[in-house]
Amino acid sequence: MRKTNKMIFISLLVSVGLALSVIESAIPLPIAMPGARLGLSNMVVLVTLVVFGFKDGIKVGMLKSTVLMLVTGSVSSFIYSISGAILSCILMHMAYKYFSKVFSLIGVSIIGAAAHNFAQVSVAVMMLSNTRIYSYLPFLLLVSLFSGYFVGLSSTYIVENLKKNFRVLFSRQETI
Amino acid sequence: MIQLTKGDKFLILFIVMLSFLSFAYINRYALSDQERYVSVQVNGQEVKKILYDEQLVGHTIPVESEFGYSLIEIGDRQVRLAEADCPDQICVHQGYVSRIGETIVCLPNKLVIEVKGESGEDDIDIMNY
Repeated sequence: MRKTNKMIFISLLVSVGLALSVIESAIPLPIAMPGARLGLSNMVVLVTLVVFGFKDGIKVGMLKSTVLMLVTGSVSSFIYSISGAILSCILMHMAYKYFSKVFSLIGVSIIGAAAHNFAQVSVAVMMLSNTRIYSYLPFLLLVSLFSGYFVGLSSTYIVENLKKNFRVLFSRQETI
Repeated sequence: MIQLTKGDKFLILFIVMLSFLSFAYINRYALSDQERYVSVQVNGQEVKKILYDEQLVGHTIPVESEFGYSLIEIGDRQVRLAEADCPDQICVHQGYVSRIGETIVCLPNKLVIEVKGESGEDDIDIMNY
């Protein structure tokens, strides 16, 4: 797989993640909690991590947050989302690389969702300089369990499908 | 259907327990009203500051000033005016107040009882994400 191919694939992934983020914001949640999201775009980051590795995963995550800020125009949510993206990407990578025997992709995705929420709440604590916001974390963690589970489930199917139909992606070590 | 590994199940259990435990902890300790206090003001000047305490439940504190006499009663994290010598008794009929920012006002006696506290969640009007 050539470098250009990879670049195109990564930009495609970023745009898919962007589209998912925009669609997601239009889906109403059954519970009214600020900060609780479906995290559909986390799927893209997870798939990138699995297929391309850590460097490209964090690249996709950060690019997605940055371009989403340009799309939606809200800088404050950008700060929340990029901190969440970075932390969740690092933790998901560690879980996937070193504990892949222990956790399936579902576990990895739950870790990512929980880390995302933790980073978001921590940033909110710093920005509002009020540690009481941490009292909100348990609820978010519970919600992240559900979203993380389903994101992990769908990512498993995506990776399976990619392995079947895009074999070129998985033979990159030999060609680059 | 994709099987959850043992690690996954453990992780899920761990997060559920963590959130419930921390929720219980937060409810019990972190959000207790230690920083919440009752400020008693007469004619705009703060004359008394009452911190909640278990031992204070049921206690009454008289406040006398040149404008009149009132009796404050402390409840379990709440406060009310038990007696007042004002003619309309609006302040007495208001009953208990407990939340930050709530006030009991007795105009004839120029008395204001305000529940004060560190700016917590109760103080936030709106949050924008």
